[in-house]
Amino acid sequence: MLEAKKLVKYYTMKEKSGWFARKKQQIKAVNGLDLTIKRGEIVGLLGVNGAGKTTTIKMLSTLLAPTSGTLSIDGIDALQQPEAIKRRINMIAGGERMLYWRLSARENLMYFGRLYGLRGSALKNQCDELIKKVGLAESADRPVERYSKGMKQRLQIARGLINDPDYLFLDEPTLGLDAPVARQLRGMVKDLAKKKNKGILLTSHYLEEVEELCDHVYIIEKGHLLLHDTPTRIIQTIVKDRILLVVMDRLTQEDWTWLRQELDNRGIHTQKNETDEGTQLDMTAPFDLTAQFIALTHQRNFHLLRLESKKPNLEDAIIRLAEERELL
Amino acid sequence: MNLLNVIWAEMKKSHRHNFNNRLMYFSLFVWPVIQFVDSYYAFKPFNLGQDSPLSRFVPVEKLGLFLITGCLAYIFFWSLVQSAWMMGYEREQGTLEIILLTPAPRTLVMFSRAAANLLEAVWLFSIFAVLTILFMGGLHVAHWWLIPIAVVILMLSAIVWGGFLNTIFLFSRDAGFLYTIFEAPMAFFSGVRMPVMAFPLWAKMIAYAFPLTFVLNILRSIVLDGKNLSAIFQPLLELFLILLCLIIASFILVRYAEKHAKETGNLTLF
Ligand SMILES: Nc1ncnc2c1ncn2[C@@H]1O[C@H](COP(=O)(O)OP(=O)(O)OP(=O)(O)O)[C@@H](O)[C@H]1O
Ligand SMILES: [Mg+2]
Repeated sequence: MLEAKKLVKYYTMKEKSGWFARKKQQIKAVNGLDLTIKRGEIVGLLGVNGAGKTTTIKMLSTLLAPTSGTLSIDGIDALQQPEAIKRRINMIAGGERMLYWRLSARENLMYFGRLYGLRGSALKNQCDELIKKVGLAESADRPVERYSKGMKQRLQIARGLINDPDYLFLDEPTLGLDAPVARQLRGMVKDLAKKKNKGILLTSHYLEEVEELCDHVYIIEKGHLLLHDTPTRIIQTIVKDRILLVVMDRLTQEDWTWLRQELDNRGIHTQKNETDEGTQLDMTAPFDLTAQFIALTHQRNFHLLRLESKKPNLEDAIIRLAEERELL
Repeated sequence: MNLLNVIWAEMKKSHRHNFNNRLMYFSLFVWPVIQFVDSYYAFKPFNLGQDSPLSRFVPVEKLGLFLITGCLAYIFFWSLVQSAWMMGYEREQGTLEIILLTPAPRTLVMFSRAAANLLEAVWLFSIFAVLTILFMGGLHVAHWWLIPIAVVILMLSAIVWGGFLNTIFLFSRDAGFLYTIFEAPMAFFSGVRMPVMAFPLWAKMIAYAFPLTFVLNILRSIVLDGKNLSAIFQPLLELFLILLCLIIASFILVRYAEKHAKETGNLTLF
C-alpha cells in the first residue's frame, strides 16, 4: 500500500525586484494532502488546472521532495530510501516528451531498462514483450520522431512498465489522443490494475475516463483535499437531480394544465417545448420519476413517442460542485 | 557489472543520438585538421632558427609533433564540452527527469556519458594524428610501453573532465556559457599551439586552471622529450590530484543538483 500523509509542497520563487534585490514568493501547490493507493486499485486525482495534481504525482515519484509530510510505499519510507522506492514505481506523463526522438522504440526501452539494471536476455525479452503489448511491434525499429502522437504515448506506457513497477502514476496519459486510441489505453490501464495487481494513480481532465476506470477519486482544490469517495457515491451525494426527457403526441391545453398540476404536486420541475414531433417535456426531480410519470400518462391515455431517463455523471457532479464552491 | 551496463547503455544511446548526423564528424575531424594545418603553416613564414624565441621551448624540428599532440589532446577535451552541452537537450526533452526517476547511480551516468561520447568523437582524428606522426617522424620515447600509458592518461583525464562538465549542466539551463569559455580560451591557454612555458605569468596562471594544460605537459614529455616515468612523476601526481578533485566535486555536485531539483522542481523549467 502507498500511504501519503499530510503532504505539503511549497515552491519558493525568487522574483527579481531590482538589479540585485530579490523578493521571495511562496506558492502553496499542495497543502496537507492524505492519499492512499492499494495494489490492484485505480485511484483518480481530479482538480482544475493548477490544483496541484502534477506536483502530487512528482512527489509520489520521488522527483520532488515534499516540504513536509510522509510517504511510504509497502512499508518503505520513500523520503529516506528513494533508491529502493524507485525500483517499485514508475511515472508516465502525457505528451510527446520524455523519449529520445532519434532512437527507435526498442532502443529507448533498452536504454531505460539498462538504467534499471536489466541486461542480457532478460532485458531483451522484457522489451520485446512490452513492444508487443503496446502494439508497436511493426514500428519498433523506426525512430520515434516518425511516430504519431498515439504511438509515442504507447511507447511512454511501455517505458513506464520497463521495471515492472508495483505502483504506476499516470499524469494525463490520454492527453490529446483520439477516442479509439484513448479507449485502448484505458483498457490497458484497467488490465494493469485488475490482472497485474498494480496500484495506479491517474489524473485526467476527461471525466468519463475517470468515472469508467477509477475505484475511488480524490478531488483537490488549490492543494487541499475537497472530497474523497467512489465515483458513484460522489455523483449520488452531489447531484441529487434526475432528468427525464419525454416526447409525446401534442397535448391539448386542458391536458397540459392537468398534467402540470399533477407534476407540481409531486415536486417535479417541468419545462415544455413544442417541436415538430410533438410536445417535449424536460422533467427534473430529486428522485427517479419515471414510474410516476408513466402512471400519470396511463390515467389519460397519453401517447408516448420517446422516453429517455438521463443518469447524472461525474462531470455533472464536478460542475455542480464547482458551482456550489463559487457560491460560498 | 552495473558500471559496464550503464556505460554500454550510454554508448548505444549517444551513438544513435549524437552521431547519426554525418556533419558531426565535420566539427570533430575536418575542423581540427584545418586548425592543425593552419597553425603549422602559420609558424612557417617566421624565422624559426636555433636562436628564435620559440626554440627555447620547442625544438624547431619538433614543431609539427608539438602541434599535432596539442590538437589531439584538445579534441579529446573539446568533444566532451560539446557532449556536455547536449545535456540541454535532455533537459528540454524531459529525458533527464526520467533518468533521475531510475535508481541508476547518477555520477556513474555522468561519467559514462562522457566515456561513451569520447571514443566516438575522437577515433577519426586520432587516426589522422597517428598517421601524421608516423609521416613526420621525430618521435622520441624512452620505452615503447609509455605510449599506451600516455593514451590511457589522456583518455581518463578527458573522461573525468567530461563527467565534471556534465554535472555542471545538471544545475542550470543557462550553462551554455561554458561553451564560449572553453572553445577558444581552452585552446589558447592550455598550450595547444603555444608552449605554456613561453607565456607571461598572468597567462600561466590561467593556463593551470585548465586540466588540459597538465595532460598536454605529460603527453609531450612522453612522446617529444623521451622522459621516463620517474621524470614525469611530479606532473603525474599533480594531474592525479586534479582529477581526484574533479571526481569528488562531481559526486558532491550531482547530489546537490538533484537535491536542488527536488526542492525547486527546476528540471521542468527550460
Ligand atoms: N517548478 C515550479 N515552480 C514554481 N511553481 C510551480 C512549479 N510547478 C508548479 N508550480 C505551481 O504549483 C501549482 C500547482 O501546479 P501543478 O502543475 O501541480 O498543477 P496541476 O494540477 O497539475 O495542473 P494542470 O491540470 O494544469 O496540469 C500551480 O500554481 C503552479 O503554478
Ligand atoms: Mg498537471
